[in-house]
Amino acid sequence: MEYKVALGPQHPALHEPISLRMTLDGEVIRDADLKLGYNHRGIEKLAESRTFIQNLYLTERICGICSFSHQTCYTQGVEKLMELVPPRRGLYIRVLVCELERVHSHLLWLGVAGQEAGFESFFMYTWRDREVVMDILDWISGNRVHYSMNTFGGVRRDIDELQKKKILDSLDLLRKRTEYYLNLAATEPTFVGRLAGVGKLSKEKALALCAVGPTLRASGVAMDVRKDDPYAIYDEVPFEVCTADSCDVLGRAVVRVKELIQSYNIIEFLLKNLPEGPVKVKAPRKVKENEVYSRYEAPRGENVHYIKSNGSDKPERLKVRAPTLANYPATIEMLKSGFIADIPLIFAAIDPCICCAERLVQLDNPRSGESNILTFSQLRTMANERAKKINFKKKEIAWPF
Amino acid sequence: MNAEEIVAKISSEIKDKIQEAALSAPRRIQVKVAREQLNAVLAYLKNQLGFTHLGTISGADLGDHFEVVYHMSNASATVNVRILTPRSDPRIPSVCAVIPGAILYERELQDMFGLVVENIPDPRPLLLADDWPAGQYPLRKDWHFERPAEVIPGGA
Repeated sequence: MEYKVALGPQHPALHEPISLRMTLDGEVIRDADLKLGYNHRGIEKLAESRTFIQNLYLTERICGICSFSHQTCYTQGVEKLMELVPPRRGLYIRVLVCELERVHSHLLWLGVAGQEAGFESFFMYTWRDREVVMDILDWISGNRVHYSMNTFGGVRRDIDELQKKKILDSLDLLRKRTEYYLNLAATEPTFVGRLAGVGKLSKEKALALCAVGPTLRASGVAMDVRKDDPYAIYDEVPFEVCTADSCDVLGRAVVRVKELIQSYNIIEFLLKNLPEGPVKVKAPRKVKENEVYSRYEAPRGENVHYIKSNGSDKPERLKVRAPTLANYPATIEMLKSGFIADIPLIFAAIDPCICCAERLVQLDNPRSGESNILTFSQLRTMANERAKKINFKKKEIAWPF
Repeated sequence: MNAEEIVAKISSEIKDKIQEAALSAPRRIQVKVAREQLNAVLAYLKNQLGFTHLGTISGADLGDHFEVVYHMSNASATVNVRILTPRSDPRIPSVCAVIPGAILYERELQDMFGLVVENIPDPRPLLLADDWPAGQYPLRKDWHFERPAEVIPGGA
């Protein structure tokens, strides 16, 4: 006997809304379906009526964790359209913030994975360490979430010797702790036992479903935009693409911890080789007619901005594809033949970034799986009708005071 | 194989299927095809040249035509495969048979531009609300958002 279960829009693993519908056979998931659109904000339409420089701050607000990824992807695209080459010091500082963001995002994810696996002290540890990175970002950009470091032709703030020294000191601490986590993630029997074999995604399926980022790399495919299509100064920075062959949640955890260590190496390299000179050049306001396909390796995977310009100061079209959307078809594949108890873990393993509700899902008859979807307007009508039936008219009893 | 070699290979091996192939920027190749040839070209890119990753599908409203661009990447380059479809007949073929991961991008195109994706395995709306009015396609250039007048319940 198969059951259909609706999970969400308030998801147990995330603080963002997405609706999952699962066809279950006992506790085994046979099929899964995703419903999106709870937080569709129309940013692509809005971008067409804003100037390039205004869109710099709009694209940053697409995401609250990888804000710098979207902004950098957009900036690099527009710089290509403007035929601008930012000064090397500007590029070094830009990549520095990119890598600091990756460190904070991966530490955040490790904490979430620990929590979903029932290992809450791990969550406490990684989130404590994440504060170290957040403080660095706050110190060099003035902000904890939206750093606003980018501008066309470079970055908006320079860093000084004292900041450099503080970052290098913090790195020593982070490196020591991350090595401990790598050891823990690979050897702690309860943690390994909970993650190993969960959410299998074969290499062939991962490639066919166009998965990106750590999800793809944990299935044994060494695809990283920083290596394949190097932007900024990644072609002169030494680093390795981290992969795992286990194709499960454990592999995705190991890939992220290894990437943390790579990011520390990159940050150290950048600070020790930081060139002298200006951090930005002047940019034009108008952009001649052209188009660009900008790729960026965000913490969650390949981020894509496709920008068309029409000769004015506003873009003709801005298409954004965030890494999470690319990973949804793969997530459905991972959920199939898994258990209900693994849903939070599998779903959290792609490090999803969604975001506001507009409707309600009701299962009329859980036995037959018939569902009834109410739209927001129907829901409002229902609420109004119900309110009309309630008798609010003058109460007979007078208020005693 | 670098991008120049890929352009040369595409231009010689599938000359009859494409309209134009050129290098537009470092590691970026532009290919124009007719919509009837789209699946054949994508299958060739995927199977013969190793372009396994579909980055996304971008649509754009050009007035009397819609432009749809398929961004295919491998480890050395990205090919932007471009088709045009007239506004009066906005049909495009589904590429899910070649690239199963394209499904969400095709559903998004149907929602946002009102394109008709033929043979799409799952035609349900993806992003727009369930009570979104039919025939309203937000990313078309002639669609403008009008904020409905605010009505205070119970009167002003």
